[in-house]
Amino acid sequence: MVMAMTMMTTTSMSELAGVTPWRRIAAGDDALAIAERDALGTSARVAVWPPADLGRACAAVDRVLDALDRQASRFRADSEITWLNHGGGGLFMLSDGLTEAVGVALAAARWTGGWVDPTVGDALISLGYDRDFAAIDQQRGEPPGVPVPAPGWDRVELHGPMLRLPPGVRLDLGATAKGVGSDRAAWAARSACGPPGGVLVSLGGDIAVAGTSPRDGWPVTVADGPDPARSAAPQLVRLPSGAVATSSVTCRQWRRGGQSLHHIVDPRTGLPAAGPWQTVSAAAATCADANAATTAAIVAGPRAEDWLATTGLPARLVARDGEVRYLGGWPAAADGATLPVPPGTHVYGGVRRPGGGR
Amino acid sequence: MDSDRAYRSGRVPLPGPGDSWQADPPGPAAPVRGQGIRHVRRMSNWTAAALIVGTGAATVALAHQALPAATSAAGTGAATGAGGAATGGAGTAAGATGPQATHSVATTSGSGVTTTTTTHTVNGKTVVTHVRHAPAYHDN
Repeated sequence: MVMAMTMMTTTSMSELAGVTPWRRIAAGDDALAIAERDALGTSARVAVWPPADLGRACAAVDRVLDALDRQASRFRADSEITWLNHGGGGLFMLSDGLTEAVGVALAAARWTGGWVDPTVGDALISLGYDRDFAAIDQQRGEPPGVPVPAPGWDRVELHGPMLRLPPGVRLDLGATAKGVGSDRAAWAARSACGPPGGVLVSLGGDIAVAGTSPRDGWPVTVADGPDPARSAAPQLVRLPSGAVATSSVTCRQWRRGGQSLHHIVDPRTGLPAAGPWQTVSAAAATCADANAATTAAIVAGPRAEDWLATTGLPARLVARDGEVRYLGGWPAAADGATLPVPPGTHVYGGVRRPGGGR
Repeated sequence: MDSDRAYRSGRVPLPGPGDSWQADPPGPAAPVRGQGIRHVRRMSNWTAAALIVGTGAATVALAHQALPAATSAAGTGAATGAGGAATGGAGTAAGATGPQATHSVATTSGSGVTTTTTTHTVNGKTVVTHVRHAPAYHDN
């Protein structure tokens, strides 16, 4: 199913640069303002209080997303990571932004014992995820390629801005880059607006907040897909700080040769993860942590609950049969309860606060 | 002297009884000398204390700059239940001062919404076309 909409607008720099304009969304509360636009192959949403801060916050988020896209998008011919992936291996000097993004990806790999691995680039390409997701459906008749297990994150060396990439290793930062983007965008928007106030940034459902939250936290819906009405067991929670992220095998699916595939790849096999969980959500101090944890849990399969318990993160797991499990203090069933976001970070803690232009 | 031999052999003698680290026995020159030593020791103690405090303050300041998320989250951990004070910079605090928000402002989910955007010019105006793909499971 494809929906198309065309908007006639006046020329602006952002549109000429391929950036879609922000659309104001009814917030339902006078004290908040919300806007949304398409970004990074998915949607970006900004919520702020006071409402007068919305323009400044969106401008700051624009700068962060533009920089992140140029650094880490595998689908841009002119991105820095495309330059790396086509370099045939060797020693590369990275920008500050990509250094940080690769550093987070490697830290996530270390933390998760390799369940999240940035060297799955070839695995995804072999499965057919070799272009922006919006273009993948056109190839449904072709069979998938031979599975390519990930070469291994521990073969990649990052020393400061210097990256040594073995020949034949291609990076994909999909499991962490959106989280990094949400963290950067929330911090940048907050810095741009000044106190008092607060901001929430969501990139395709990976959410980070900064500043002062609304009373009891930002109200956030937890769901399988972007449309809660179509999701199994949606839940309303309140996010007082940090971040919450969700990974799901029900989204970003495509078919090859009659086989249904999805984008969360098990690095050990090079195939889509086939564990018992269809959706995992987690809250953490940073969105990069939350994003890495939820992806790792999908890949970990039956070992996910034990591993998540060791992290101490509140998590919500939805099994393929619809059963819902709650871990780490995630509020069970009750709508509107506050998530107990723990302090500390495993993957995005040693970095300096990003600015909007990085 | 023993201490001279020790220095020549590369060893640094530890202070012991009879060394200048101990107060001298009372004598004609002892009061002045003892006061001087006590003054130096007091100054040393104050210097050491100042160094410890300064090092601690610098460590806290650097940690605050290097770990914004951890710092903010730590500040919020207590605030989750009781509404704590806002942390500095871009940190987050559960809102004793934030507004009341009653409606969901965002959905955390698998990122199924994708968009292809093309831009071209028609009659002098820019036309932006968005082709949006619904999540594939809607098709299945």
